[in-house]
Formats: sequence, C-alpha cells, structure tokens
Amino acid sequence: MRHNPPMPDSSPDAELMALIDLVGRRDENALRLLYERTSPKLFGLAMRVLRQREWAEDVLQESFLTIWRVAGDYRSTLSPPLAWMGLIVRSRSLDLLRRRSADRAHLTQEFDEQMAETFESSAANPMDTTDASEQAWALHQCLSRLEDGQREVLSLAYLRELSHSELAGQLKLPLGTVKTWIRRGLEKLRSCMQQFT
Amino acid sequence: MKFSAHPELLELLAASYALGTLRAAARRRFETLAREQAPVRAAALAWQSRLASMAELQQPVAPDPVVWTRIRNLIAAEQQQQAIGRQRIAAAAPAPASVPARGGWLRNLALWRGAAAAGVAAAVIATVVGLRFGEQLRNAPAEQYVAVLSDDSASASMLVTFDPKKQRLLLQRLGSYREDEDKSLQLWALPTGGAPRSLGVLGRDRTLSLPAHEADMRAVPALAVSLEPRGGVPGEGGPTGPVLFKGALIEKTL
Repeated sequence: MRHNPPMPDSSPDAELMALIDLVGRRDENALRLLYERTSPKLFGLAMRVLRQREWAEDVLQESFLTIWRVAGDYRSTLSPPLAWMGLIVRSRSLDLLRRRSADRAHLTQEFDEQMAETFESSAANPMDTTDASEQAWALHQCLSRLEDGQREVLSLAYLRELSHSELAGQLKLPLGTVKTWIRRGLEKLRSCMQQFT
Repeated sequence: MKFSAHPELLELLAASYALGTLRAAARRRFETLAREQAPVRAAALAWQSRLASMAELQQPVAPDPVVWTRIRNLIAAEQQQQAIGRQRIAAAAPAPASVPARGGWLRNLALWRGAAAAGVAAAVIATVVGLRFGEQLRNAPAEQYVAVLSDDSASASMLVTFDPKKQRLLLQRLGSYREDEDKSLQLWALPTGGAPRSLGVLGRDRTLSLPAHEADMRAVPALAVSLEPRGGVPGEGGPTGPVLFKGALIEKTL
C-alpha cells in the first residue's frame, strides 16, 4: 500500500467542485477537463464493479452524460465531488449489472467465476488516494487497518451491492467466513471512523 | 429500541445498512426507526456518505479515448436539439446568415445542426451495430473525419466518413431519399470563407467510395449535398441546385 502524506497541501476537491459548477453552466471545456481529471478513477471504479471493459465504457459514457445534465444540482448534495461522481458511476454500474444478469440468468455460474477471479488478485489491489477527498482519506486510513479479507468483502459488498451469500458465491468462501469478516471489519471500521468525527 | 443507551449498536446498524448487508427484515425495521428518530437517520446518512468514498479509492484505469468522443458527440446532439427548440420559439425573427462565434465546441449554429445529427446517428449506429461499431472505432486510423448530413427536418440522410489510410471518402445513404432519373446528387466541401468545392457526384447505390485527400478535409467545417442536373455541375462552378442535406465535418482524433 502506498503511504501518501496524510493531507495534501491543497484539497483537490476545490478544483473539481469549480469544474462541476462550470459544467452546471453548460461549459463544455470544463466537462472535458473534468473528464480528463476524473475518468481514469471513475473508469477504475466501473471496472471494479463490472470487470468488463465494454460495459465499464458504456457506464462511463452514461455517467458523464448524467453529470452533464445534473451538475447544477451538485452543490446541494453536500458530497465531496469525486464521491458524488462515484455514486453516479456505481449506480449506473449496478443498473447495468442487474440488466445483464437478468438477460443471462443461465450464465450466472460463468459470471460468478469471472468475478471470483478478482479475489485471487485482491491482495494486490491497493487503494489509491489520488484526488481523494478528506472524507476518503479517513476511510482509507481505517480500511488500511483491516485485514485484507475483511477489506475485500466490505469493498465488494458495497461496490457490487452483494449480500452475504452472494459474496460467498462470488468469492468462493464459506458463508460463515464472509459473515465473520464483515462483522469484524465493520466493527473495526466503526471504531476507527469515530476518530475522524 | 432506545439507541441512546447503545450508541455503538446504532453506529454498527447504520454502517451495515449503508453497506447494504442488512437482511430484508432488519433493513425494513431500521428504515422505520430512521424515519421516526432523527439520530438514527443521521447515523445512516453519515455512513452512506462515508462509504460513498469507497468509490474514490479505486485504482485508476485509463478508458479508451473513444469514450470521450462518444460523450462529446452525444452532448453536441443534445445541445443541438435544445438550440433547434429555441430557434423554433424565436422563429418570428429572421434567421441570421451566421451566428457569432462562441467558445467551446459550439462554434456556429449552422455547423452544429449537422453535428447534432452526427451525435444522434453515432448513438443510433452504436445501438444498431453495437459492438462492431465499437470495434471499428477502436481500430480506426489515428485521424478520421465523419459527417452526418441531414435534411431540413434534421433527420440523418447521409453518413460520410474519411479513411486517411485509403485516402477515400465513404458515403452511405441513410434515409429514403431518391433523386429523379434526370438528377444527380453532388457532395460539396464548405470551407470557411471560401466557395463550395466539389468532392464528387453520387451514383444510385446506397454506398459510394470517392477518392479524396486529407488536405481536402482540413479546415472544412461542413459538407453539403445539392441536387444537380444528372452528372453534376462540371468544372469549378458552385452548386446550382438546392442544398438537400448538410452537416458538420467532425475531426476525430482517436
């Protein structure tokens, strides 16, 4: 895991927020800059949820069209800018995942295997704090203190909106293990996050 | 349930709720509590917000540049539709020959009339041809020009692409328009501040490939198709018949 300085000198949030404000005023150049700044991060997120380049590209496209349309409402959400964009990407990704798994219910097995493969490499799945908000820094600090397995089940439960049994299926882990990791992981996360409130 | 005596339990429940791992029944009970008790609601919102930052911590992956091209085209189409809407509202006023330059991608209204169709057509083609179109774009040469020419009602009538490797313009008829036997359609480049320059005369086939040089495409913001006597207008003269279709020529740097 990379150890970046605890807080960057100036928050990247301010710059991203300014860009989103401009996008809200229909500034196409600001949209391009915002895309250049955030698309690798958001694409990485979509890839993590979907594990499929083409799907992730569709989601990224859809998400930026959404951002273009609703940027004017951003301020009222009170969210850090990248987290707000991340919510859009995650929700679009989950929509696509739901559509696809309905389309190909018969391929569920194959699908699970494809997803399962990600856990093998998850220990080498470091978090990245580029452009992260202060809030994300806190989360990063606390997630870093979890065991790899705990961090991974928490991340996937959230990002892919998976239940205990779905996680067990995708990660090829016993259900009891998943439940224990989630419970312990959440408990540690709770006590750690208290320091930041 | 009195959470004031068990603040940690509340936090843990709220975190599970935000994570999405509460089972259905527990989830509903928690939602009821959150509606009734502001501190419960606050805890849930705080955890939803904290976990949303999970999205910020993912490893970056560079998307294919074609994604931006698609976004730009679709937004241009959206902008254009809105502009047409405004134009209709202001229809009483005579339309100016050209609209003053604006920043960004919106340089000229007439130019964007075509770009809109380009965006729409790109979307339609992407939907219809699906992955194959994506493949084509991925394998596309480094520099490429595309134009969708549309008629007065803004419906796409012709797709024009330039292949710099083969130095050819590819024309594809999209609509149902058919010229009469004694007429021909002629394709024109409309350079900025210059006279229309003929790029070729169309045959009757749905697709047509014309030789062209990249130099012909540069500094040409738009293309048009006019209805001419059979065989087209010879020599250096400009179009003599009505312009049926026109649209912006978009340079795509992939």
